[in-house]
Amino acid sequence: MIRLLGLQPTYMPHDQLDFEYRVSNVPQNAIAAVEVSVVWLTEGKGTEDLGVHFFQRLTGASLAATDWSVPQQVGVPLPDSPLSYEGRLLKISWCVRVRFYLNDGTELVAQQPFYLGTITREV
Amino acid sequence: MSGWWFVGSLGEALFFAAFFMIGVVCFTTIVGWQFLSPTTQVVRIGYGFWLLTTVSAAFVVMGAVGFWYRVLKVATSDEHREVIAKRGLVPRPKTTLYRQLPPPMVPLLTPFTESPGAKLAFRLPGEWPGTGALISIGLFAMAWNAMIAVFAVFAVYGFWRGEIRLRLLILLVPGIYIGLKAAQIFFRTYVRAIGIGSTTVEIDDLPLIPGNTYKLLMVQYGRLVIKKLSIRLVCEEESTYHFGTDVRTEREVVRQQNILDQGRSRIDWGRPLELECQVSIPSDAMHSFQSLHNAVHWKIIVEGEANRWPSYSRSFPVVVYPRVHSKLTSQPS
Repeated sequence: MIRLLGLQPTYMPHDQLDFEYRVSNVPQNAIAAVEVSVVWLTEGKGTEDLGVHFFQRLTGASLAATDWSVPQQVGVPLPDSPLSYEGRLLKISWCVRVRFYLNDGTELVAQQPFYLGTITREV
Repeated sequence: MSGWWFVGSLGEALFFAAFFMIGVVCFTTIVGWQFLSPTTQVVRIGYGFWLLTTVSAAFVVMGAVGFWYRVLKVATSDEHREVIAKRGLVPRPKTTLYRQLPPPMVPLLTPFTESPGAKLAFRLPGEWPGTGALISIGLFAMAWNAMIAVFAVFAVYGFWRGEIRLRLLILLVPGIYIGLKAAQIFFRTYVRAIGIGSTTVEIDDLPLIPGNTYKLLMVQYGRLVIKKLSIRLVCEEESTYHFGTDVRTEREVVRQQNILDQGRSRIDWGRPLELECQVSIPSDAMHSFQSLHNAVHWKIIVEGEANRWPSYSRSFPVVVYPRVHSKLTSQPS
């Protein structure tokens, strides 16, 4: 589960994006790796493009040192661009994405969208 | 420059094209004769031969260079070259700090700020949709006609020796037709390009920032009567996608605003039409964006209708930065 700590899911460039994530009902020793990222992606008529603004991968000692009974907090300063945008052929959206890789090969993915900038949602 | 520049420009291009063709014919005749029939040659290898070879090769080079210089000069005015030479005298942009660092996924500003304007800070680079076609047709016409000229020399040489090479003649007839047709298409396209004259757009600052207003100067050169001319600011989305084995690109104008409409005006050589106006970038405008398959472009489009010429449209891309980045990078240290 991912939870944005801001009051609104809308952020301005250079704002700090604070969020927390946690996993429940999964034993700690079943987790092989965790990836946390803040990404933008395009949707629409064109082939999808993806840009990674922040990426963190936890494995080995750093993973073992993590206490999964409490939410993990992350703070990321947001960039100038690309701003969230909803056009006719193209949509640019931002999200926080967390992937849990389990020892049995299972992959759990959660993502939480947010809005960067204040450009009108509909053109 | 005096007189009707249009005829002069076309005449110069035709002159250099003729120069090129004469060079090809002379070079082929001299060299071909030397190797194909050394016994009947008029000019033996020696001073005269090398002189004629060099002169005809010079004709080919001068013709080709002169022709393309004349044709490509359509897109660059004398004033522009002059301004670039006096780069230090042009007005400096209002903000110059950190311009080389664009925000993520926003196109680089450098290609837009390389060219200084004559009255305002920057002269915007133009997109000329017809230039590629003009150059392609010109190159084809030149190469094809040079090849046909070589074959023609062989045919004439054979005829002179009393041999009629029928297969060569049969090939030459459609070849000459294609060559003439290609030359005709090229010169027709060229006349259209030079007849209307070049368009330049200058702006007082870059990048453009949503919510701000900028001065714009449009200059239309040529010698013609403009029936109607309009300047628009356009935002266009572009998406590239795979459709089967094809790669397709789709574009759609998502936002546009009229900047200026001009009625009937007469333009003379040496007295271009100069229109000053202001362009405001909407405060809720999306910034320029460029990723691998998707883009948001901003451009200034000049559209005109002129007497006796087809209507034309010329596009001048600009870069819009997101407002926050612009604010941060514009502050003096």
